[in-house]
Amino acid sequence: MIKESLKDRLFSGIITVILAILAMIAMIPLLSEAAISFSSKAASDMNRINLWPVEFTLDSWKYILTKGKIWPAFFITLSSALAGTVLALGITSLMAYPLSKKKFKAGKYLMVYVVFTMIFKAPTVPYFLTLKNLGLYNSYWVLVFPHILTAYNLIIMRTFFRQFPEEIEEAAIIDGCGHFRLLARVVLPSSKAVLATLGLFYGVTIWNQYQHPLMFIQDMDLYPLQLKIRQIIDGGGDFQAITAVRHVNYTEATLSAAAVVFAILPILVFYPWLQKYFAKGAMLGSVKG
Amino acid sequence: MQEKGTEAKTGTKIKTKADAKANIKAVRHIKRFWPYYVMVTPGVIYLLVFRYIPMLGSVIAFQDFSVVKGIAGSDWTGWKNFQKLFQYQDFYKILKNTVILGALKILAVLPVPVLLSLMLNEVKNQKLKKGIQTVICIPYFLSWVIIGGLVFDLFGSGGLFNHIRNALGMKNLLVMQKESWFRPIYVFSSIWKEAGWGTVVYLAAISGMDPGIYESASIDGAGRFQKMRYITFPLLTPTVLTMFLLNIGSFLELGFEQVYNLYTPMTYAVADIFDTYVYRAGIQQGQYSFATAVGLFQSVVGLVLVVIFNHLSRKYSQEGGLW
Repeated sequence: MIKESLKDRLFSGIITVILAILAMIAMIPLLSEAAISFSSKAASDMNRINLWPVEFTLDSWKYILTKGKIWPAFFITLSSALAGTVLALGITSLMAYPLSKKKFKAGKYLMVYVVFTMIFKAPTVPYFLTLKNLGLYNSYWVLVFPHILTAYNLIIMRTFFRQFPEEIEEAAIIDGCGHFRLLARVVLPSSKAVLATLGLFYGVTIWNQYQHPLMFIQDMDLYPLQLKIRQIIDGGGDFQAITAVRHVNYTEATLSAAAVVFAILPILVFYPWLQKYFAKGAMLGSVKG
Repeated sequence: MQEKGTEAKTGTKIKTKADAKANIKAVRHIKRFWPYYVMVTPGVIYLLVFRYIPMLGSVIAFQDFSVVKGIAGSDWTGWKNFQKLFQYQDFYKILKNTVILGALKILAVLPVPVLLSLMLNEVKNQKLKKGIQTVICIPYFLSWVIIGGLVFDLFGSGGLFNHIRNALGMKNLLVMQKESWFRPIYVFSSIWKEAGWGTVVYLAAISGMDPGIYESASIDGAGRFQKMRYITFPLLTPTVLTMFLLNIGSFLELGFEQVYNLYTPMTYAVADIFDTYVYRAGIQQGQYSFATAVGLFQSVVGLVLVVIFNHLSRKYSQEGGLW
């Protein structure tokens, strides 16, 4: 190893400092939001909050967590993300597996059928009307069904299955193992990495979705988290009336900040896994079979 | 194909034989592969119902569609909706907004992760590098509703942006209600959400580069900057090109959720894109046929763009296109 010159070390050092500053700047919106959520009514009304809570209080959080009706929305989102992930992994792996087999000649045509959905999108209105005709308007299942199979994820899984050694499968077939058992007992158990990756892809899509619930869900009891948060941000519901009461220690601004931070927390809890498996998916996605 | 050729030449007798042969082949194929057909069935039906039937539903763009009468009962109007569309002032406004925001996304947003990756590659302390990367990737996982909430708070009257302006002796500026500010907000929110994540692919490409080249460059006396400029950057160009071509193909798909969560009625004039317009005109106001015509125009232009740029990316980069 050649010893680095002073110039090189300086160059590297300056870049490191710039990046560290950029990373800190990137966190400012989150810090500032958290600061608002922990600040008092007076501080919020006087616009005195920057990056640190002013007159620290938990009142906004207490309100959001106990009376904000945010938990039903949270559980609707959580359950739909879980149900959707399970269904999606089932249907995607069932379809990706035969398509990964070169000897399965029909697979080629089926791939065209799949890829076409990626390059030609149905316009929003006929899409809306079709799903409405299926009875998905104002239905919990509209949070789940539209997201359980995407061409992109199918292609990633197919690419992954392609790497599975054929000898193992052939040996299993000779031993009298059927194709379904082969998939369930041999192929899937050794595909945990791709299952985790795609599970998180589907899960995050459902967790963060906004357009579908916005179009399809009118009933406030069925609001998923994102719709609920947007309603709170917009000052909807009974928040205006509540914050008008004089003796409380929160404002519309502090309550909506608490709601936004609340919605960020689950993402942060799962972040180490998200980062790890999304990166794997990005790598698999860039290699086409 | 060959069977067809012989059958044309020698007449009916062979044709039946060939048919029988083909039948036997088909039966064998089914016998061998039936489990595969069973496996793909749910997916095939799913795509039919959730992707293809809505595509066919686009025919209402050529109708005066009413929900009560249905597709079969509604009157056909030919190209009337499209004629109306091309005479419609707002259509050109929406088209312009979509093109401008799409171009900004490619010209101003796409290069940022490339630059960040080149910079991250120069950080020697691995823990610090990982830490910085971890932090700048967080926004990628947040929904546009949340980002919209953060942006409105940051730029609102009591937000940090105006505090800084006040500290500098400037008046409050309600950025989110200003037309001239929508595009910068759009670009910065895109960078904040996506640039950190974009480094993942590029850093992986950089880590796959041959260390031998760097060593021989060092022996020749190349400094860090020179290695970045003359080795890493050129070697990264094919990956950048691939990402660029893939993105430019989906140019018109700016995403409903970003714009919808960042615009206000005061900024509609510069912010309204196809997706948001179609939502308001079609879903909210019930102009089903007209909004479908707008959407179909977008889908068809999108299809052409994707096909062209996919072809180019297969031609110019070894990694190939979407398919």
